[in-house]
Amino acid sequence: MTTTTIRRPDVSVEELEDLSYELKVKLLKLCGSYSGSVHIGGDLSVADMFTALFQYGMRVDPSDIANPERDRFVLSKGHAAVAMYIAMSIRGFFDYDEIVRTYGQLDSAYGMHPCKVQLPGVEASTGSLGHGMPIATGMALHGKQAGADHRVFTIVGDGETGEGSIWEAALAARSNELGNLVVLVDRNHQLMTSMSEDRVVLEPYVEKWAAFGWNVMEIDGHNMSELVGAIDALPPADSNRPTAIICHTVKGKGVDFMEKNIGWHAGSLSQADLERALASLAASRKES
Amino acid sequence: MTETMNFDEIISSRSVTGQTLKELGDQYPNLWAITPDIGATLVEFREAFPDRFVDVGLSEQVSVSLASGLAYEGNIVVVSGMLPFLSMRALEQVRSDVCYPNLPVRIIGTHGGLQGNGGSTHYAVEDLGLMSSLVNMTVVSISDPNMVNEVLKQSMSYPGPMYIRTGVGKKDTVVYDFEQRQIQIGKAIVAREGEDITLFTHGEMLVQSIQAARQLEKEGISVRVVDMFTIKPIDVEMIRRCATETGKFVVLEDHLKMSGLAQAISNVLADEGIHLNFFKRLGIPQVYAGFGEDEDLRNKHGYGMQDTLVALREAAAAH
Repeated sequence: MTTTTIRRPDVSVEELEDLSYELKVKLLKLCGSYSGSVHIGGDLSVADMFTALFQYGMRVDPSDIANPERDRFVLSKGHAAVAMYIAMSIRGFFDYDEIVRTYGQLDSAYGMHPCKVQLPGVEASTGSLGHGMPIATGMALHGKQAGADHRVFTIVGDGETGEGSIWEAALAARSNELGNLVVLVDRNHQLMTSMSEDRVVLEPYVEKWAAFGWNVMEIDGHNMSELVGAIDALPPADSNRPTAIICHTVKGKGVDFMEKNIGWHAGSLSQADLERALASLAASRKES
Repeated sequence: MTETMNFDEIISSRSVTGQTLKELGDQYPNLWAITPDIGATLVEFREAFPDRFVDVGLSEQVSVSLASGLAYEGNIVVVSGMLPFLSMRALEQVRSDVCYPNLPVRIIGTHGGLQGNGGSTHYAVEDLGLMSSLVNMTVVSISDPNMVNEVLKQSMSYPGPMYIRTGVGKKDTVVYDFEQRQIQIGKAIVAREGEDITLFTHGEMLVQSIQAARQLEKEGISVRVVDMFTIKPIDVEMIRRCATETGKFVVLEDHLKMSGLAQAISNVLADEGIHLNFFKRLGIPQVYAGFGEDEDLRNKHGYGMQDTLVALREAAAAH
């Protein structure tokens, strides 16, 4: 089957970097306007990955959200929902101002974890860790059986891979030869309350995925050229091995006082903090 | 309706499940079957539709999440396995991945109740309470092997998730004649008419219930047996009617008596403000039951045949 109706955007790495910066600014502004807690550390960790997927790698059509030929995306790391909403708004799915105006409020479609019932543009209701990747695996099974050439993408947190269901899904995806399944792992080495290797030794991490029979790539998850390169290097959807892209990242990336800071797993930003964060983000962009 | 059943015919609900799924697989090209290594029931389906069958091995959690992913894509998915594990190890997957998005996944399996002598790790005795507490979930307990056929067929046009409980499923007593009798998910079956007491039951306890009612008829006690095969949504109208017409309830079930059908009926009594002259639950007390043959376990734990007769006589004597 050849997909003809949905195309990937024609966009350069430089343009993607601009879009990723836009995403991060919008993230911080939302965090500044909402009095409750936002998972800002983990959102910044995956912002570049989201940009690479939604503004480049995935064939999706915001005007035809149920098109069967679309690539699917399931957020396994459900607490990064805000980064996903904003990435999707930049692609044209949702209205950013509406997200900011209603986030976390009664009857809003936008909250801490994605809900498909309230927000049909997302593919699945997730949040509890270790669920999204297995659901994506079921979607990939459908795609393979249907002979479709779309892919199913999911973002998994490295801490989330402490859940046994992730490895059950890794077994099932390999056993059922789901070459259309692509897992991006946000390898930021932090849990909510600790630096992950202090509590749970995940290394040797790439080898773990390889040992499960997966096609594994390892990249800098904040380097847009590497993200684009990994997406371009994906095997065909009808191949027989699922792909894990281990993305080395930094929790709180781009904001100096949040980076690798356990205190910024989640929080809200005062006006002063917001200005400080935006200034830090702008400065870190110049350096890179 | 008068009693139409005899207990001479024994068949396996597993074979009915297998045959039915094969038939439904022909009719519904979007029907899938998944099992965590308990696939004997699904052999016919697997052979006919190998591209819509997945055995995930020993991983109940992912069997349910995979079903969710398939159902999001427009499929109807049957997950078949042992109920103690599908209802507990995969409980959060059932709740978050299936019930929350209200997907057409059917969880069907064996070992509901103190069945099979597997010991306390292998009995599903909390399952109806757990599943009934989940939003969007429909809960069915199979009391006749051929009922699997009726329920699965009806479930094809049912929008949300469904939990379907059977016993061991190897030697099941045929009770109903489905050429004479229509059933509907959500509507209780009056398995035997009676005027003095209503004995509510489900699943494998139906046979014991009817036998008890027959015996008491000889003592001049008229027991109505209601097969509440749909635990949720429960047939409130039937409960109301039986309260008015008999005024005395005994509930018999192969489940913890704190959280199964008796609990569901109690909720209706409380919500509706219904007062009875007698109410008694027969089922498993708060114990881990241990090993033993099914009948011995029921006798030990207070819901065997003698216990049922005693409770019904007590009900008859109550004013």
